[in-house]
Amino acid sequence: MHMALADRLTAVALFLLGLALLSGGYTMDRLEIRQIHPASIPGLVPMILGVLLALCAALLFLSSFKSAARNDALVLVGGSWSRLGLTGAICTVYALGLVGWLPYFWATFLFASAFALLFSFPLDGARRAQLIAAASALALGLAIALGSSLLFRELFLVRLP
Amino acid sequence: MSGLGDLITGLGTLATPEMLFHAAWATLLGIIVGSLPGLTATMGVALMTTLTYSLDSTTAILVLVCMYVGAIYGGSRSAILLNIPGTPASAATSLDGYPLAKQGRAGYAMGLATAGSALGTLAGVFMLVLVAPPLAEAALNFGSFEFFWLAVFGVLISGQLTADTTPLKGYIAGLLGLAVAMIGSEGIHAHVRFNLGVQDLNAGIALIPAMVGAFGFAEVLTAMWNRAGQLAMTKDKSDKTLPDLVDLWRYKFTIARSGLIGTMVGIIPGVGEDIGAWASYAAARKTSKEKEKFGHGSHEGLIAAETGNSAVVPGSLIPAITLAVPGSASSAVLIAALFIHGIRPGPLIMIEQPDFIGLISAMVVIATLFMAFYGLTLTRAFVQVLKVPYAYLMPVVFVLCVIGTYALSQRIFDIWIMVFFGLVGFLLRQMKYPMAPLVLGIILGDLLDKSLRRGLTLSDGELAPFFTRPVSAGFVALIVLSIALNLPAVRRVAMAPLRWFEARRGA
Repeated sequence: MHMALADRLTAVALFLLGLALLSGGYTMDRLEIRQIHPASIPGLVPMILGVLLALCAALLFLSSFKSAARNDALVLVGGSWSRLGLTGAICTVYALGLVGWLPYFWATFLFASAFALLFSFPLDGARRAQLIAAASALALGLAIALGSSLLFRELFLVRLP
Repeated sequence: MSGLGDLITGLGTLATPEMLFHAAWATLLGIIVGSLPGLTATMGVALMTTLTYSLDSTTAILVLVCMYVGAIYGGSRSAILLNIPGTPASAATSLDGYPLAKQGRAGYAMGLATAGSALGTLAGVFMLVLVAPPLAEAALNFGSFEFFWLAVFGVLISGQLTADTTPLKGYIAGLLGLAVAMIGSEGIHAHVRFNLGVQDLNAGIALIPAMVGAFGFAEVLTAMWNRAGQLAMTKDKSDKTLPDLVDLWRYKFTIARSGLIGTMVGIIPGVGEDIGAWASYAAARKTSKEKEKFGHGSHEGLIAAETGNSAVVPGSLIPAITLAVPGSASSAVLIAALFIHGIRPGPLIMIEQPDFIGLISAMVVIATLFMAFYGLTLTRAFVQVLKVPYAYLMPVVFVLCVIGTYALSQRIFDIWIMVFFGLVGFLLRQMKYPMAPLVLGIILGDLLDKSLRRGLTLSDGELAPFFTRPVSAGFVALIVLSIALNLPAVRRVAMAPLRWFEARRGA
């Protein structure tokens, strides 16, 4: 995707966010019942921010049509989509799913071992190399889970999730 | 000269075996964090904040300062050996450091970087102890009107100077940060705003989960997305780590100028170490007698970049301590950590804790001494650190992001915030939105909101005091000038005298 298109899509989203801020600020409770000064209503700054954000979004939209090198640049290229997707998925599943559902030690052990295994396992490698990679991943998982559990529970007195 | 006296007193306070032990490991860890591409100083300080809750305030701040100083310096390792800056602050270092490494002089490049960093930090500390106390006293006269413009100026200038392509994206990042700060109970009437019906949002979005997400998780994603660099392993027989004093003396003016530029950049809110390095590098190149060597292994260029980025560290502490306005993203986390440990940065610091500026300056000096020691002695060990595969490193980082965020208030909700900011932060970075203004917006949002509404209440709705009070008028002039300089016509007019002067000099 070219930066110009990415900017246009972002500008639309930001414009809507600006309008939402403006509307949210305008309709916010003005606390008349508490007889506050009208200039200190809680919605004042959100309204100003909404207008400024919508204005900047409009300028971004317009500037994306200019023929400039920055608009021709490509976005989200040069990296590995599969590595990014796997990292995003495994980290999100761990943080939003496993932690709180499983005891912290087991959640962390599973996550760290799976992460290391996924990105270091030699699919086309020799049997011995595969065994070493698997053992290393399990050892790393155990070390991280045990180390972080002990550090936070015993030293920092945190009640782990 | 009471500032220097406070510095000496601070050094005396910290010269205990326990404090030196904490400084030693924290600086070493900082260098390791900084040297690994994908782990930045801000992330290191944010993660370390979560590990220092249980320490007493002086030890905790010492650990964080050592992590900050070490990480900014550590970035030069991978910049020199891999041509990938360990932190954005070291991007300019790679321009001359990597060519030197390819010539087999990696050791000497690292020695020069160490000397430059140490001298830059010390130059910044000198400015910190001299400038911070009078600035804090001057800030005691600031009222709501001045603090409002200070917050606006901070977000604006940060957006302008850190944007990669267009200042507009910097401004948008700053506005997004300010919008995030609007969530939760506001500071004047305790009215809850934009909680979307979620009880957990009533207290607002805490800075640490947001920072750990934007700088931790986002960096894990970026590191896994990018391809690994190639280590420069060539070694010349004449290579050595200790830099020649003659070499350093030859570049004394470059060092002094870069130290000054770095400190000044540090004082500007939310701008950060990378700009300090680039500005120093550009100034050195402009005035150098060996311009042609720049980009091909110039010693002067390397020294300028490293002196410039390291001087930003103490420079950024000046507004952070005296005005509670961070000079860089890392110092924004440091401000949050100071609050957690019961220290209230801001104009009252000289009344509530008059020794604190001397103490924090002494912390920077101690961190610099350890940094120089490690930098000159552990070169080989740092090369080994760079060989640790991401598959083993990144799960450690992400686990710390999760458990560190949770440990702050022991709420699962904070982990969700961290993940949200990580995913959004990654996308924004890919689209060239700078992160520093976003962070500055979150931290300054409350100040801006309260100052504007308090000011308007004091003036009974009149806008005039926002423009007529001397300091306010100064800020307004700076803000208008900053925005106007984006317009090509205004820039042409403003630069005309400089062009005329250069033309005369050329003739």
